[in-house]
Amino acid sequence: MDPVLSLKKVGFRYDGFWAIRDLDLDVKPGELLAVLGPNGSGKSTLLKVVDGILTPQEGEVLLKDRPVSGYTRSDVAKEVAMVAQETHFYFSFSALEVVLMGRFPRLGRFQFEGARDMEAASRALQATQCLDLAERSIHELSGGEKQRVLIARALAQEPTVILLDEPTSFLDLRFKKEIFDLISSLTHERGLSVVVVSHDIDLASQYCDRMVMLKDGRVYSTGVPEEVITASNIKAVYECPVIIDKNPAAGSPRVSLV
Amino acid sequence: MGQMIQQTIKRPLSPMRVIRISLALFLFLIFTILLSMLLGTADVTIVQLWGILTGGAEVKEMTKLIVLNIRLPRIISAGLAGFSLSLGGLVFQAILRNPLADPYILGVSSGGAFGAVLGIMLGFSFNLGIPLLSFAGAMLTIYLLLVMGQRKMGMESSTILLAGVIINAFFTAIIMFFISTAVDDRLHTMLFWLYGDLSQSAYVQFAIIAPVVVMAFIILYGLSRHLNLITAGEETALQLGVDIKRTKMICFLVVSLVIGLVVSFSGLIGFVGLIVPHLGRMVLGSDHRLLMPVSALGGAVFLVAADTVARTIISPSELPVGVITAFIGAPFFIYLLKTRGSRWTRS
Repeated sequence: MDPVLSLKKVGFRYDGFWAIRDLDLDVKPGELLAVLGPNGSGKSTLLKVVDGILTPQEGEVLLKDRPVSGYTRSDVAKEVAMVAQETHFYFSFSALEVVLMGRFPRLGRFQFEGARDMEAASRALQATQCLDLAERSIHELSGGEKQRVLIARALAQEPTVILLDEPTSFLDLRFKKEIFDLISSLTHERGLSVVVVSHDIDLASQYCDRMVMLKDGRVYSTGVPEEVITASNIKAVYECPVIIDKNPAAGSPRVSLV
Repeated sequence: MGQMIQQTIKRPLSPMRVIRISLALFLFLIFTILLSMLLGTADVTIVQLWGILTGGAEVKEMTKLIVLNIRLPRIISAGLAGFSLSLGGLVFQAILRNPLADPYILGVSSGGAFGAVLGIMLGFSFNLGIPLLSFAGAMLTIYLLLVMGQRKMGMESSTILLAGVIINAFFTAIIMFFISTAVDDRLHTMLFWLYGDLSQSAYVQFAIIAPVVVMAFIILYGLSRHLNLITAGEETALQLGVDIKRTKMICFLVVSLVIGLVVSFSGLIGFVGLIVPHLGRMVLGSDHRLLMPVSALGGAVFLVAADTVARTIISPSELPVGVITAFIGAPFFIYLLKTRGSRWTRS
């Protein structure tokens, strides 16, 4: 299958410093891809470049075979949705209002949401099991509920690709599982492509189809979890000795610190 | 998958709802204006007012003069000022993502006041010279705010707010200097003006101000959904296609222009831009498509009412309207901070 998203020799530089360089990456339809790497390895920059918010100085990003630089911002937003790492709401919106914000790229300046938009929001809320929360204020929701609502907003954009920047970093164990179950169902049942940046290697290797491990802005290793999560890769990238065995439940690679 | 949608969700905001609520507030504004025309040092009865408005019944020339040439211009002026200050407060709070922001706190008003006090000092007229200088003062403040608040990633809210506080302090010092050195009746004029003086209103001003205010409202309303997204996280707003830098700049300039004009004829009136938008949010939520007309019209009602109190409470003397708004506004604000302040501080 043709990739939905394709990065070709992409490099992005902040002032004098290359945050990512020489980066090749394909995202296939319906695939759950994890991006791993230590702090400062270029994960967040990669997401912003993929999303067209940052324009790379080198190489190009193809979205459905067309360079993303040729899209308008709202056209990108119709294909790619992003769930940012932390979103602070300054004023109180209801969960439904937040989800409807995902319709922004599809509405004209003085236009209000119509039946079509309500349908998309309703489907998104249902997929994330947030229908009960629709009327609640975003300020009253728990961390896991809020994250689900934000994923619902991304779904309401009706994108083909969803990018998630560390979606579970502020969540406890139960919500972590809940979010990854949700992400997994979006890809395997609905055919969406999901790129998730994560610090949680075990969780990512348990759920993801493929992984990319970054080091200093370059791809150090890529493949299925078993190929990427090896003691030597982790030693080289995270500069930390580990032992790898198998997760007794899922059979995926498991990392233990030495 | 394949599951039917069992629960239905209600659309949070429809155009009809915006129109209905705005219309109700507009009618309430008309009612407040009519009531305000009746009240004052000179007695005007409902029958007389009806006569004046319809040209029907016989009314004394003197009464007519009081209502049409003294009270009405002042009421319109209060309405326009309230409309603009409150709309300005709402928009500033959104683009700076800070519930404390309002034209008064940002120093835009005191810049205008500096210009006006200078004009009074130099003996300029209230028809042209003072408004012009005051407008120039407000624009100077905006220029300073932009120079100080501009960062590589666009305007930075805490820097802008702090810069506003400093500019405010600086202009207040200059104004105090003028007041201390003023000797004759100019002293009284200055002091009154500083607390929001609507007694110098004239119909000729409205011809300039009203169209500007209406235009500003339309431009800002076109950005109301952008403001919703900006207050709900800039990264996502950017992702969804909001040009944040441009939106903020347009809002900032449009509001400042309007406030500059308003301050030039109304003086310093604080707290309107804080009280009314926050009341709106408490009752109606955070959607700017509804909050904009509600704040603007609500601001007009509030200031017309406040000015009516200012005109009548110590009759036959008058108070500057800024005294009334501050008297209500400061306690209200403390209440807001106590009850919902924690939500505004990032932890």
